[in-house]
Amino acid sequence: MSAIRVFPEWRGKDLDGMLHAVVELLDDTEFPTVKRWREAGGKVVGHFQVYFPEEIAHAAGMLPFKMRGAPIEPKHADSHFGSYLCSILKTSLELVVSKRVELELFVTHPICDAARNLAAVFGRNFPYPCQILYLPQNATSPAAREYLAGEYARVRDLCGQIAGVTITDDALRNSIAVFNKNRELLRKLYAIKRETPWQVAMHEAYALVAIGGLMPREEHNELLEAVLPLLEARDRKKHDRVRVVFEGGFCEQPPFELIRAIGRSCYVVDDDLLIGLRWILADLPVTGDPLDALAWGYLERSSYSPVQHDPRKQKEDMLLERVRNSNASAVILAAAKMCEPGLEEQVAYVHALDEAKLPYFVTEFEENMTSYDTLEIQLETFVENLLFV
Amino acid sequence: MAYAAGVDVGSTQTKAVVIDEKGKIVGRALTMTGANVTRAAEEAFAIALKDGDVREEEVEYVVGTGYGRYKVTFGNTQVTEISCHGRGAVHMFPETRTVVDMGGQDTKAIRVSPRGEIVDFCMNDKCAAGTGRFLGAASSALEIPLDQLGHTALRGERPVKISTTCTVFAESEVLSWLGKGKKIEDILLGVHQSIAGRSTGLAWRVGIEPEVTFTGGVAKNIAMIESLEKAMGMKVNVSDDSHYMGALGAALFALDHIFASRTPAASRGVSA
Amino acid sequence: MSETAGTESIVGRGNREGARLFRQWFDGLGQAAEENRGGAYVFVMGSLGELLSTFDLPLVFPEINSLQTAVRHQAHDYLNEAEDVGYSPDICGYVKADVATQRRGGMLPMGRIPKPSIAVLTNACNTYIKWAEIWERMYKMPAYVLDIPASRQDGHPVNRHTPGFERDRKYVAAQLRELIVVLEQVTGKKFDVDRLRETMKHANTMSRGWKRVLELNQSRPSLFNALSDGTIYLGVCNGFRGHEAGAKYFDQLVEEMEYKRAHGIGTLVDERHRLLFVGVPCYPIFRRFTELFSEHGGTFVNSTYLWFASGGTNLGFEYELSDPLESLAEGLLTGVSDAMDSMFFQTKALVQMVDDFAVDGVVYHPVKSCRTTSTGQADSRRALMAERDVNSLFIESDMMDRRVVSEAQLKNRVDAFFEGLESRRNQAAAGLV
Repeated sequence: MSAIRVFPEWRGKDLDGMLHAVVELLDDTEFPTVKRWREAGGKVVGHFQVYFPEEIAHAAGMLPFKMRGAPIEPKHADSHFGSYLCSILKTSLELVVSKRVELELFVTHPICDAARNLAAVFGRNFPYPCQILYLPQNATSPAAREYLAGEYARVRDLCGQIAGVTITDDALRNSIAVFNKNRELLRKLYAIKRETPWQVAMHEAYALVAIGGLMPREEHNELLEAVLPLLEARDRKKHDRVRVVFEGGFCEQPPFELIRAIGRSCYVVDDDLLIGLRWILADLPVTGDPLDALAWGYLERSSYSPVQHDPRKQKEDMLLERVRNSNASAVILAAAKMCEPGLEEQVAYVHALDEAKLPYFVTEFEENMTSYDTLEIQLETFVENLLFV
Repeated sequence: MAYAAGVDVGSTQTKAVVIDEKGKIVGRALTMTGANVTRAAEEAFAIALKDGDVREEEVEYVVGTGYGRYKVTFGNTQVTEISCHGRGAVHMFPETRTVVDMGGQDTKAIRVSPRGEIVDFCMNDKCAAGTGRFLGAASSALEIPLDQLGHTALRGERPVKISTTCTVFAESEVLSWLGKGKKIEDILLGVHQSIAGRSTGLAWRVGIEPEVTFTGGVAKNIAMIESLEKAMGMKVNVSDDSHYMGALGAALFALDHIFASRTPAASRGVSA
Repeated sequence: MSETAGTESIVGRGNREGARLFRQWFDGLGQAAEENRGGAYVFVMGSLGELLSTFDLPLVFPEINSLQTAVRHQAHDYLNEAEDVGYSPDICGYVKADVATQRRGGMLPMGRIPKPSIAVLTNACNTYIKWAEIWERMYKMPAYVLDIPASRQDGHPVNRHTPGFERDRKYVAAQLRELIVVLEQVTGKKFDVDRLRETMKHANTMSRGWKRVLELNQSRPSLFNALSDGTIYLGVCNGFRGHEAGAKYFDQLVEEMEYKRAHGIGTLVDERHRLLFVGVPCYPIFRRFTELFSEHGGTFVNSTYLWFASGGTNLGFEYELSDPLESLAEGLLTGVSDAMDSMFFQTKALVQMVDDFAVDGVVYHPVKSCRTTSTGQADSRRALMAERDVNSLFIESDMMDRRVVSEAQLKNRVDAFFEGLESRRNQAAAGLV
């Protein structure tokens, strides 16, 4: 279990000071915490969106670093790709080519047609293993669980090999417990968003979740444990704002400023931003076969996204459920530019929301965009319409 | 003395040069292409002849290039402007290995061999974000004439970040920065850096090998030269005749033909 | 038979027969639609035609239907209709053409196709999955997604003799058994293993023939154009997988190619440049696209398309008929993995092809519509250029959407590419390189 701590900036601060440090960290495209981890001798697994069983890397004593692109110019990476591709693909490569982050292992699940090529592209450019983890798309097959546990065993052996350790079941169970705790804290954060959205701004909640992918989870847990009670106790004025669900942040992330802007005009009471960090919805058993527990969690106790096929989780039904559960009255349907699964899902979402007579606002974004004037005006008009009509 | 000529029919401008047997430019012409492409080519050729004080019958071979190359009906053959820019650049700057040609509609990155042959090339495909057209959009949004853009941009100290990749939206992004109170020179410097960054990205596709020669109409823009040098991290060659580079290359291919027809063994063999 | 008569009846037979079979296949689909019999909607990477035809399910390949709308210059109509109902200009054109087709009750320029009773697909392309989800919503029919865990790491292709492969194969076999239950429910027919053995036998003949046909194009001059002729062969390879007619076709195609080789009959009169094609063809200007190259004496001797779009049957994998289901799983896993490897291990394979086929240039054609096959191309090209001194061309367009296909732009680049090839040839002749 890792004792390394890489993010001291929040300690000893009041709530605003902590939140400031968290936002600063998220904003820093030099990824200082990952650098500190390496300086302390730690190894890093870069896992591309959406879901990766981080517990396995954690049990190996490695840092599972969530690769979610960055608002940076893909100066070097651009020449490795053609047109018609989303930004996150290029900036994720850029992070590594530019040595902003350095890895010992890169893993990606083929979430989409573009990303399925990433292991090949990384593999051609870096000397360390760059692998595909095939998570089941046939989620209801009775054989899927055993297959997935087997895949996880492969990842375990690989991580162990790179870290130079043998990963025991106890180590895995221990990691599962750490992540159970983490997911529980994130659920609490989302409960605050849902129940008292005026207590935490959309961008604050987002930053609190996102930095989990940048540091050891124990450290993230310590931070959340300190922050959450302060958020609950915060004395904030409740505004007359529309409660909305934001959908479309499962892979490429909207620019932080855009998230801030959305939060200014409405209360985002639930969303799918970085859903991979919150993919598993229940505590996983810390007894028995840990890899089977992880496989079970992925298949049976998980959220949804446009990039996982599971007939039990028809996406538009899930979205409606999310709207109901969060008592939202409108939806922002966003998709990253050039994101096929996101854009395809929008059609079904729109259809379902029309039928349910729920108002929605459809938009596209790019992590690199710096000008949101048009988008903001449209969104504000949409919200005003709901409030004043 | 025999002469050779090259006529580069671009989407907005048509350029013609006449060269002597040593490859020296003796006459040049630049006209607007307009709707009648063939006439524009004829006109440019006629002006270049006059400029060089050369009679038409003294010109043994004419090569057409550019998008309208097949409309150079009086020419003997056609060569793409990709080959021509490479050839022209190496002629002007013999150590050239990479050419960045920035025109009105597109940008090309060309890697050339020491003899001026094309090793690899790449062009911006689907949008004009890295081209002169983008500058045009900024120019009209800020109401600054095109030829003053560069000088204004150089006064910039804190360039803004231009994120749009669409020329149509460039104008509104520029205006939105104005609305946020940014200085015109900072916005313009941002525009230049954005284009230079995209062009450098394009050049990396073919691999940037020094020396780099910058050609095309936009190579006249001093801020673009500086931005490009900064983005590539090296000096770039720019000729006073930068926008005649395609026509010059075409004329050089024409000269090859003249020599080849005299002594086949001496052919550089780069004909189309 | 006299020499001329032989030439006349054999040379070009693959194209003629291919067109006839295609017509026959489509007539069958039209009839099924007429009789309200549902089809099995499948895809080229892992169609499982061998299995599905034993349930008498008419095979519908939406990919092929969509590309036909482009070849017949009608794609824009279909694309517009789908975009009008909300599908983005930036997503796969095949999907959109099919959405419009379904909205038109299955009407296509070639005739009418039946509605799906079932969709069977693999994870080889994520768009397959998103596409099938559209049908699930439209028709409430089952869409069975087969997980095919393919190669995991660069430089480590699937190895059939490892415990990992056996584990994956077992997973695929288990899914096949589940699929059979679904098929029995959908069709009301009992699974017949003997019929499967029969279709697998024909599939073996086809795979064997396909592999041989591709190899034979190493001949100089090359015997067929991988882009134009190859696409016709590919149609039969997919549409008639496991059929007797398909087996016969490939036997005859091998005969034709052997004949052409023996008689030195090439696809071009003057073959100057032997080229490889990487990616999906430019269907909106299909014929013209090939001409842009053949005008310069360039012909495509092989392509990655004939590889991945045949679901990896180019490998020539032959089923073990004594244990059909287990062997079907092995074949499916091997073939689909290989199709995916055409992206994953592209550079290595291209280097091999450059050598085996004496290739002068490689043409990369990434398209807007297909990110599966396009995303890695720029990087793969860099790697190829670093490894082999061979000319290459990188041109972007689309397989469906003529709005992003600019013939003038394409021609400009193709011309420049040949200028480079010619100049290299002249330098070589002059002993300069």
